[in-house]
Amino acid sequence: MIIKTAPKRRQTVLAGLCVLGLAVGLSACGDSSSSDDPASNQVEFSFLGMPENTTVEAVLQTIAAGSCATDLADYPLKTSSQPQASYDQQLQLLAGNDALPSLIFAANTPSLAIELHDGGYLVDIDQALTEVGLADAILPAAESVLRSLYGGDLFTLPAEFNIEGIWYNKAILAQHGIAQPTTWDELTAANQKLADAGVQPFAVAGSGGDGWNVTRLVGNHIFRSLGADAMRQVADGKAKLTDPEYLASAEAVAAWGQAGYFGPAPTAVDYATAMNTFLTGQAAFYYMGSWALASFNDPTQNQIGDDNIGFLPFPNVTGGKGSAAEVPANAGMPLALSSASYDAGAKAWLGCLAQNYGTLALRDKGQITGFRVFDPVADLPALTTEVQDIIANAPSSVLWFEALFSAQATTTAQTNGGLLAEGSLSGADFMSIVQADLG
Amino acid sequence: MRPIDRSSPGPGHRRWRGWRRTPIGLVVAVLLVIEVYPLLWLFLGSLKTQDEFLNRPTWALPVDWLNFDNYVQAWRSGVARDLVNSVLAVFPALAAIVLFGAAAGFALEIMVWKGRSGVLLVFLTGIMVPSQMILLPLFSVYFQTHLTGTLWPLILTYTATGLPLTVFMMATYCRSIPRELFEAATLDGASLLRAFWSIALPVLANAVFTVGLVQFFFLWNDLLIAMTFTAGSGHDELATVQVGLLSFQGRFGTVQYGPTMAAICVNVLITLALYLFCNQRVMKGMAAGAVKG
Amino acid sequence: MRQVLGDRKTIAVLLAPALICYSLIMLAPMVWSLGYTLFSGNPIRGFSFAGLANFDTLLHDPKSGQALLFTIKYAVTVTIGQVVLGYLLALLYVFQLKRSSGLIRTLVFFPVVLPTVAVSLLFQKLFAIVPQDGPVNSLMNLFGAESINWFGGGGRAFLVIALMDIWRSMGFYGVLLYAGLVDISDDVIESARLDGAGGWRLARTVVLPLSRPVLISALIFSINGTLKVFDSIYALTGGGPGAQTSPLTLHMYRTAFAYGDYGYGATIALSLTICCLLVTVAVFRGSRQDPTA
Repeated sequence: MIIKTAPKRRQTVLAGLCVLGLAVGLSACGDSSSSDDPASNQVEFSFLGMPENTTVEAVLQTIAAGSCATDLADYPLKTSSQPQASYDQQLQLLAGNDALPSLIFAANTPSLAIELHDGGYLVDIDQALTEVGLADAILPAAESVLRSLYGGDLFTLPAEFNIEGIWYNKAILAQHGIAQPTTWDELTAANQKLADAGVQPFAVAGSGGDGWNVTRLVGNHIFRSLGADAMRQVADGKAKLTDPEYLASAEAVAAWGQAGYFGPAPTAVDYATAMNTFLTGQAAFYYMGSWALASFNDPTQNQIGDDNIGFLPFPNVTGGKGSAAEVPANAGMPLALSSASYDAGAKAWLGCLAQNYGTLALRDKGQITGFRVFDPVADLPALTTEVQDIIANAPSSVLWFEALFSAQATTTAQTNGGLLAEGSLSGADFMSIVQADLG
Repeated sequence: MRPIDRSSPGPGHRRWRGWRRTPIGLVVAVLLVIEVYPLLWLFLGSLKTQDEFLNRPTWALPVDWLNFDNYVQAWRSGVARDLVNSVLAVFPALAAIVLFGAAAGFALEIMVWKGRSGVLLVFLTGIMVPSQMILLPLFSVYFQTHLTGTLWPLILTYTATGLPLTVFMMATYCRSIPRELFEAATLDGASLLRAFWSIALPVLANAVFTVGLVQFFFLWNDLLIAMTFTAGSGHDELATVQVGLLSFQGRFGTVQYGPTMAAICVNVLITLALYLFCNQRVMKGMAAGAVKG
Repeated sequence: MRQVLGDRKTIAVLLAPALICYSLIMLAPMVWSLGYTLFSGNPIRGFSFAGLANFDTLLHDPKSGQALLFTIKYAVTVTIGQVVLGYLLALLYVFQLKRSSGLIRTLVFFPVVLPTVAVSLLFQKLFAIVPQDGPVNSLMNLFGAESINWFGGGGRAFLVIALMDIWRSMGFYGVLLYAGLVDISDDVIESARLDGAGGWRLARTVVLPLSRPVLISALIFSINGTLKVFDSIYALTGGGPGAQTSPLTLHMYRTAFAYGDYGYGATIALSLTICCLLVTVAVFRGSRQDPTA
C-alpha cells in the first residue's frame, strides 16, 4: 500500500512544503514591513491600551489629528492593547525589560503602580506638568483622589474621574411608595418592600471578576460606619477585616444576598447583563460609577428613559462615623508616562494631552475626566450635568474597598464578591479569605 | 505494517446491519445531536442582535435571518488579520517540528550510538513541563534579542514546545522500520542522510501527518503563549485567533454577544473547511500511524 | 555495517536542529526557572535570595492545596471520561458501524479542531441562566426542573468544565483508539467467536488485551494534557467562582504574573512538573505488568 500511493504522498508533501515556504516568506515580509524606517526622524509615541477601554485611544487619535497635529507630526501615535485580565502581567514583563511604552494605564492594581513608581519607571507628573506650563491642568478633587490612592505622590493622569453611588429607577420607587432612602436601614426596608412585591431590588454583576460592584457595597458600608480612614487602618495593619466592626459590614451585604435582593443568580450576571437589568426596568437600584452615564445617555441601551434615573449617595449607617457627604470617587484607570521613554515627543504629547483631554473626552465621549475642561462643552445631557455638580460640590471623597490592597487580595475579593451577593458565602468567610491574602 | 485500507465495498446488507438495531441507531442519533446542535445554535446566535440576546429566549430563532451586522463588526475587528497571524505562526513551526522531530527520531532510533536513550529521556522530560515554566525567561530573551514585535517568538516557542512529544512519537514509529532497509540503501551507495530523506520520510509519511495534525491542534489552540508574546509588545497586529476571540470581551467585561458569536462562527467555518479538505488524510493518517506504545 | 548507522557526523546533522532548538528554548528556561524557586521578588522589585522559603510556603498555602486537589480531580475525571468514551466510540466504529462509520467519526472528531476559546464561549452560553436561560436550562425547564446557575458553585462549574473538555476531545480519542482496534484482525475475532466467545466476553478476553498498548498511550497522552489544563478553564470560568475551579496552572499564572511573585510561581510550576512525572512513570510501570502473566 505504501508503494502504491507513494507518488500521491510525495505530491502532498511537496504541496505542503510550498505552502510552508510561502508562509515563511510572508512572515519574513511582515517583519521587514513592520520595522522602522531608519531614514525618517520620526519617533513613535507608543500607547498600551486595553480592548476593554476604547475611549482613551479614540481621544488620543483626536488629539493627534486636531489642533496639536503640527506639534505632534514628528511623534506619531502607535497603539497596541492587552486585555485587562493580563494587563498587569504584561506591565511587569515590559518593565522588567525596560521596555514600557511611552503611555500606559497605571495598572489594574494601585499597588503595582506604586511598585513601578518606586522602581523609577514612571514620570513625576507634578514636575512634568509644571515643565510644560500646565500645572493647573488636573482638577484638585481628582488630584486628591490620585494622591490618596498612590501613597501621596502624583505620577498618574486622571483620564477619568468618577463618582459612585446608587442609581435608582424613579418610576419603580414611586409605584411602590418608597421615598429616597437616606440610611442603610431604610434602604434595606425598601429592598424588602420591593422583594415582597416581586420586584428585584438590586441589579449587580458577580460573574468572574465582575464581583467588584458587590465589594464596593461592603467597602462603602465600612466607610460609613467606621469613617473614611477605615481601610487605611487595614492597609497599615492597625486593624483586620476579621475584626467584628469590619465583619459587620460584610455580614450586612451577605444578609442582602441571603434575602435574595440581588436576584436569583448574581454569580452568572456579568457587567453588561447587570446594566441591562437596570436599564430595562427589571431592578430598582443599581450601584455603579458615573462612567455608566455613557450607557444611561444611550437611548438604545436605556429603555427606562434618562429622566427616570436618579442618583442616591451611598446612605449613612445609623450611628456610624462616616457621612453620606463623602462621595466614593475614583480616577477610573489612570494613565502614566514611562520615564525611560520620556523624550521630547512624550513631552509634547503630555502638553497636548493636558490641554485637550478633558474637553475632547467630555465632548466626544461624554466622559467626565479629572482634567480641567479648558473649552466649555455645550449641550450636555442632564444626568451628566448633575454628576458634574455633585463632583463640584462634594466636600471630600472616599476610595473603595480594594483600593489599598495587594493584587492578590484584590483578585480574591472581586472574584468572591458574586458568592457574597448570592448568599452562598458568609460575611465572615469572605472577610477571612480576603484578610488571609492581605497577610 | 498491516494493511489498513478496508474501504473495499462489502456486501450491502452487511454494511447496514448495524443500523437496524435500534439501540445503536439511538446512540448514533444522540451523538449527532450532541455534536451538531451546539454548532447550529452558535450559527443562529450569530444572527441575533444584542437586544435579542438580552431580552428574548435563547431558543428563539433570529428575528432577521439576513442580519449580518455581527459579521461585519467581527470582520472589522480583525478576524482576518488574526487568522493570517495564526497561519503564519503555526505552519512554519509545524514544518520545523515535523522535520526536526523526524530527523531526531531517526537519529535516536535507527542510528546506533552510545547515550541515545539518555538523550531520548531528556526530550521526554519536556513533555511533562508546563509551558508556564518557560515563559518568564523566554520573554526576557526574546526582548533582549529584539525578536519581540515579530511573530518569531511564537514560531520559536511553538517549535520547541512541540518537539518533545514529536521526537518521542517519531522514535516510536521508527522502531517499526527495519534497519536493513537503510543498510541496503547505503550499500547501494546512497548516503545515510539521503536514505533518511528518500526512504525514511516516505515510509513515515502517515506518521508525519498524524504528528503534524496533533501538533497543529495544540498550536492552533494555544492561548497562553500567544497571549504572552504577541499582545502588549507594542504590536497589536500580531494577535492570533484565540487572543482575538478573547478581546471580544468589552469594557468591564461587557460582552458583545452577537459579534463574538459571529467571530466564532467565522473561525469554525474556516476550520471546518480546512478540516473537510484534509479529512480523508486525517482519518487515514490517524488510523495508520496511531500512537502505538 | 553498524558503522554506517553509527556515523557521528550524520547523527549530529540529524539530531542537532531538534536538540539545539529544544535545549535553548525549553531546557535552558526550565533550568532558569528552577533557579527562581530559590528567590523571591519580581523584575520590578528585584530578586532576593529566599532559600527554601518558597517550598515552605507551598506546603502551608491552602490555595495551592486547593488548586492541586482541583487539578487531580479534573485530570482523573476528564482523562477517564475522554479515554472511556473514546474507547466506546472506537468500539462503536469498529464493531457496529464498521465501514459506514466515516461520517460519524468525522462529526464527532470535529470539535477538537475548534479554538478552545470559541468552545468555552459557546459553553458559557449553552449553560447560561442570565440574561436568558441557555439551551441546557431551557431543556431542564421543559422537564419541570428549575433553572440552575451552573457557574455559581465550584461543583457545578466543574461539571460544565468536565463536560466541555470531554465533549471536545472524545472524538479525538475515539479515532486514536479506533486505529488500534482496527488493527485487530478479523481472523482473531472470528476464531474467538467460533470458540463461543461473544459480546462482553469477547470484548474482555480478546479486544481489551489486544488494544492495551494503544490504550496506555492514549492514557499518558490524555493525563499529561489534563494535568496541564489552562486555556479552557481560563476562558470558561476564569477559575471561579472565587478560586473554586482554579487548577495549579492558573494559580501559578496568577501568582507569578498578576501578583508579581515569580519565585513562588516557579515553585508551583515545579510541583506540577513533578506531578506529571510521577503519573507518567506510574502509568508506564502499570503498563509493563502483563495481566496474562
